[in-house]
Amino acid sequence: MPSSNQRIEIIRRTYYDSVTLMLVAKELLKTGGVSVASLSMGTEANYKIMGSGGFDLGGVDATPNDLIIAVKTDVPEGEREALLEGALEKAKEYLANPPGRKADSGGDYRPKSLDGALSVLPGANLALISVAGKYAGDVAMDCIGKGLNVMLYSDNVPVEKEVEIKKAAAEKGLLVMGPDCGTIIVRGVAMGMANACPTGPVSIVAAAGTGLQEVHVQLAKRGVGVLHGIGTGGRDVRREVGGIMCLQAVNALLADDEVKVLTVLGKPPAPEVEQKILQAVKAGKKPAVLGFIGGEAKGDSGGVFICRELEETAAVAAALAKGEDGARARENLFREYESLRQRAETIGRRKGFLRGLYSGGTLCYEGQLIARDILGPIRSNTPLEKEMKLEDSLKSEQHSMVDYGEDEFTQGRLHPMIDVSLRAERIYEEAKDPEVGVILFDVVLGYGCNDNPAAGLAEGIRKAQSAAGDRIAFVASICGVDTDPQNASEQRRILEELGVHVCESNARAARLAAMILEG
Amino acid sequence: MTMSMTKLLKEGPKVVNIGVEQFYADLKTQKAEAVSMDWKPSAAGGDLLARLKKLRKGGN
Repeated sequence: MPSSNQRIEIIRRTYYDSVTLMLVAKELLKTGGVSVASLSMGTEANYKIMGSGGFDLGGVDATPNDLIIAVKTDVPEGEREALLEGALEKAKEYLANPPGRKADSGGDYRPKSLDGALSVLPGANLALISVAGKYAGDVAMDCIGKGLNVMLYSDNVPVEKEVEIKKAAAEKGLLVMGPDCGTIIVRGVAMGMANACPTGPVSIVAAAGTGLQEVHVQLAKRGVGVLHGIGTGGRDVRREVGGIMCLQAVNALLADDEVKVLTVLGKPPAPEVEQKILQAVKAGKKPAVLGFIGGEAKGDSGGVFICRELEETAAVAAALAKGEDGARARENLFREYESLRQRAETIGRRKGFLRGLYSGGTLCYEGQLIARDILGPIRSNTPLEKEMKLEDSLKSEQHSMVDYGEDEFTQGRLHPMIDVSLRAERIYEEAKDPEVGVILFDVVLGYGCNDNPAAGLAEGIRKAQSAAGDRIAFVASICGVDTDPQNASEQRRILEELGVHVCESNARAARLAAMILEG
Repeated sequence: MTMSMTKLLKEGPKVVNIGVEQFYADLKTQKAEAVSMDWKPSAAGGDLLARLKKLRKGGN
């Protein structure tokens, strides 16, 4: 009987978080001979993902509380047995000592209940919840019941549940940041995917994760720190949720004497929510900047500045924090943007289409707005207008920008800020298209992100360059600072050595990329 | 503004981490006060709680 090319082992009643499991699976793939590796809890969704990965799941009876380790190999039959056995052993070793753990926290006591956790850490005031979406809502309600503020990193929490959680929290004067909130900063402490920037006079309320990261970083580049960065999750400012937490956070920060400048960020809110935010901010009598990316609202009034882009928002907020003129800071910035045309000239104009490959959703959105003004319609899996939606997110058409942080790319996979391999492959794929003239991408740094994203993307860039020669110009922005675990200067050096044109912000990178193709 | 939120903003975060272990490690790197729970679906409400509620209502 031929030996199977797969091995599946079930470890009963054992739970690991999805990031740890996917990091272990990724490590296993580095083992020579392992062609597919999957570690997941035995949920229905995971069965489907494993099935589509080519595993034969006949006879597998794992429940959602059981861990499934599955490995496949493509080595010749005689070598399979030993290789698969070795891979399973390695998986268990990695689980005991997970890869990528950046601090020595392995031996710390881990209470099994919330009450246990509260007795270990009396005075706890925040729960950081990142369990699977189907459990996250109930866990958040338990935490609110115990008087904890909540950061809800988890996504796939139904909107009705979000409203229920937020109403319960609002009654108790608690914050719920999320669901789908990737980044927060409280008194300078960064949580989720967030940068190691200084503390200072600006505070931010953001319905946009990478938007918060970009503004945090842009403020740091201007020598201005952030005290609080309150994420709300993108849905908060929509009609269904009504901006409950955005308004709660805005009012809290307006009342906080330590906050000298308030910034509110996100895609444009529902009109009635936008009005409420505007009213609250105007009544607050504190310098404020509203950065509604691509919004229609215009005109600064009474100390409240309205911005349409992320770096613009940061530039104005930084000026206000320094007691300078916000309007002049904006003018100066847009003058600097004009000089990018000269840089495009120096790089050398290219012909053809722009292909943007993003890990940050807000960055992709902003990139489209900027490039559209210069090049015309941009197609995307997250388009500005419905009719510009890509039929297949894996196949670009004309000018395209793809957000790899969308659910379609993250089901059963690590977020692209942690695993850059899909984008590295796509860079090469795009380069093979003879109609492509510029490839644009973001590199997002900070806690919770890949240790060395530039090195991971470099593999794709080298292959792309050997396929396309000088036909394609590569443009990137790095959302990070030198104090980040990855060190922004070091990341920049890696990219520049490959000839990538690195810009100081996403707004600049999108402009430069489009200008190279202009005319 | 109510006490709980203000306390968080004034005192800084004291965090119960429930889920991704890396976030706990990152908090430790920043010397923030934190504890990480050994969370499992069945031990923390979720499905079990929903099933119990259903049973109480006479469902199955």
